Amino acid sequence: MKKIYFFGALALLFAACKPSVNITVPPTSGNADFTNYLAIGNSLTAGYSDGCLTVSGQLNSYPKRLFDQFNQIPPKAFGAVGGGAQMPFIQPLLNGDNGFDTSVSHRKLVLQFVHNYCTPNDSSLSAVPVYPYIADPKDMIRYNWTYNTYNNGQINNIGVPGIRVADYPVANYGNPINPFFNIFAYRFYHTLTERPIDELYFRMHNFEPTFFTMWLGSNDVLGYALAGGQGNGVGTAMPVLGNFYNPADITPYSVFTAWYDSALVAALSTGAKGALINIPDITSLPYFTTIPSNGLVITRQTQADSLNRYWRSTLNLVFQLGANQFIIKDNLGNIRQSVPGELILLSTPQDSLACAGWGVTTPIPQQYVLTTDELQNIRANTYNFNQFIYTEALLHHLAYVDMNAYLQTVATGVTFNGITYNANFISGGAFSLDGVHPTQRGYAIIANKIISTINDYYSSTVALIDVNQFHGVLFP
Amino acid sequence: MKKHLLAFSFLLCTISSFGAGYLINLEGLRQVAMGGTGTAWPWDASTIFYNPGGLVRLKSIQAYASMSMIIPRTAFGDPNGSAVSHKQTFTPFNFYFGGPIKEYSRWALGLGVYTPAGNGLQWDNNWVGKYVVQNTQLKCFFIQPTVSFRVTDFLAVGAGFVYGNGSIDMSQALPVQDLYGNDGQLKMHGNAVGIGFNTGIQLKFSDRVQMGFTYRSQVNMNIDGGSAKFSVPSSLASSFPNTSFSTQLPVPQVASFGLGVRPIDGLTLQFDLNYTGWNSYDSLRIDFGQNTAFLKNNHAPRHYQNTLSPRFGANVKLSKVVSIMGGFAYDPTPVTNGYVSPDLPDANRVVLSCGVTVKPAHRITLIAAFESTTTMKRAGSYDFGNFSGTYQTMAVTPGIGLYYNL
Repeated sequence: MKKIYFFGALALLFAACKPSVNITVPPTSGNADFTNYLAIGNSLTAGYSDGCLTVSGQLNSYPKRLFDQFNQIPPKAFGAVGGGAQMPFIQPLLNGDNGFDTSVSHRKLVLQFVHNYCTPNDSSLSAVPVYPYIADPKDMIRYNWTYNTYNNGQINNIGVPGIRVADYPVANYGNPINPFFNIFAYRFYHTLTERPIDELYFRMHNFEPTFFTMWLGSNDVLGYALAGGQGNGVGTAMPVLGNFYNPADITPYSVFTAWYDSALVAALSTGAKGALINIPDITSLPYFTTIPSNGLVITRQTQADSLNRYWRSTLNLVFQLGANQFIIKDNLGNIRQSVPGELILLSTPQDSLACAGWGVTTPIPQQYVLTTDELQNIRANTYNFNQFIYTEALLHHLAYVDMNAYLQTVATGVTFNGITYNANFISGGAFSLDGVHPTQRGYAIIANKIISTINDYYSSTVALIDVNQFHGVLFP
Repeated sequence: MKKHLLAFSFLLCTISSFGAGYLINLEGLRQVAMGGTGTAWPWDASTIFYNPGGLVRLKSIQAYASMSMIIPRTAFGDPNGSAVSHKQTFTPFNFYFGGPIKEYSRWALGLGVYTPAGNGLQWDNNWVGKYVVQNTQLKCFFIQPTVSFRVTDFLAVGAGFVYGNGSIDMSQALPVQDLYGNDGQLKMHGNAVGIGFNTGIQLKFSDRVQMGFTYRSQVNMNIDGGSAKFSVPSSLASSFPNTSFSTQLPVPQVASFGLGVRPIDGLTLQFDLNYTGWNSYDSLRIDFGQNTAFLKNNHAPRHYQNTLSPRFGANVKLSKVVSIMGGFAYDPTPVTNGYVSPDLPDANRVVLSCGVTVKPAHRITLIAAFESTTTMKRAGSYDFGNFSGTYQTMAVTPGIGLYYNL
């Protein structure tokens, strides 16, 4: 008997030696109710990444990330308030993974070694449209939301790439008869003739969300920036057709506030609580920061001398050994040297920079340059729009996610579990190959910021996401 | 006027390998069974390690061999979940040979081959801390030729030269993913050598009271020409060339005091204090043979602090044939907050041990010892990689050995 006790005790000792640590906090919904979650927004909400919308992008959108976390909260008990998100989470999913639609502008970008034609031995890893491009024909068919009639045609993510607050009153927004129609709205909008605001009302009353996130407004400044500051820029633009404003211009403040407010009234019309996400500082995105404005590097004095001779008659500039500011053309048609702080866009043709003397003997055209004035327009309007979003959040008692401030800290570098993410193009890990939209990891970082703001505001304990389990930039 | 748009700023932000947990205290089984005490009382030839001064106190030349099995496991938890390291078994061994060169001689000679450090931790390759560490392993043994001299009946001294030899292995995921989303990986392997010494004074007040002081020097284990192998997407292969690396890993200096008393026949009580000079491990520096824009030498601060460990042990002689032992120790961690990394996370350790010796024949003694080590749950962070969580380590260590008096 004693022997048995001895070996029993020994076995217990061995069994007891497996340590365990559990410090997870049970997820709860606090004062919020996540039962029915609806995401309202633009390309960032749709899951756009690497220059296109794909099914994997949609499946890794931040609304999907949020839903997965909300879904970990147990459903509310009968008669109680609050509770976790209920399945299913429905997005108007594509079939293909190469980008939608077939136009080059929405084609998926991949990394590839690219040779400049003037320096054939010099290749660099660059983001180029995927080739050959194989579109999935099913993607051109409108999303048939009657597939899920058992859920009354429920869609949880109505993010439409490209949509602006200024587009909310535009009729036939998804209708191909409209020259400015949005093909992403065409894919899943309930009726083609409706305005985005009508679609929002339809979704609200069809699905009756208990919680929503609204991330609108980025495109009201981004179009202007992507176009290199073409257009009015100071917010006094007039509609170009009906009530449709030039997508490459900044939305007038009065139009922005009127329709942001209308969209919010719609989102609140079923009594849902939610979070408003403000407009990021788009000028810190890799699309605008990757090509340095002082990228004219002179290595020999003779080069500097000949450049000085070349520009002596018109500009009277002094080029020196080392880094020099590029020569640009500004919006007034003036040819001048750029000043520090001005931004050269990632869309600038690389061959022209490397081989055709752009920025050196040929000024970089204005559509590839954001000048000091244009940057001022972007920043001032972003600030004003965000102030408005902030007052709306205060007024309607909604969580306010200051993504603008947060992404500025990401731009300089945030470290999670051994990786430092920053806003460097390709190597930074947070932004995808289009230089504007996040990677899957970037979206998870964004989702974590939204979650922590919601937790603070609604006293909930939604679990944060392990960012590193998702894809970053993929290398060949 | 070339413009390389891909001016990467990517760095290996963390190479964290090898925390404090690698020092083990398993150099003699009877001492292990008595909470790791053994500076004062020269029980057997393992005193070559515990106090070289005691070697001359042995009655005759002795051959000693033992082996232990460490089965350490570490659990990690953060607000998202938890992980437990894979089960691994390490088998530190000890051989000692030595004693007075002839009966009652004032001189003794000996040779020890023992395992002062050896540990590792293997996490799941895809665990949450994969970019900090996936797997670490350190193995080493010391060879120590020793001489001991009895100055008087009261005072004996001894010293040994230490040659250390070992190997380290480390792997971590790299945050560069291929087209399928698989991470890159860095695997490092290197052989380490180092030298040092071990000295001791043994004081015999009477048959009932003995005392010891020892000083074991730091042994810098130098790794030169280790191999660093990178698995990365092919487009980045030239940026992460397979190369060599060099680094240095200190086995720290230890000053010990020990007191042994025998209040009644058959009962021996021991008390030891170990003061371990961890603060020499203030940083881990890894130099790669070939640097690129991406691959820079790595310098990870450690800022360990010195520790003072009290140890208690008792030996009860039940009969001429059988003795039993027990002991405990408290081993505070040298790792300060902000440096608790998941390679070998460390926390204050509580050690409980027991053992038995059996003398089946005139010259032979068999020993069995069992030690259990448990760390307190420790919430800690590794600020260098912004990695934090709560850790707990447990290890059970059975060991067996024998010695033979020539």
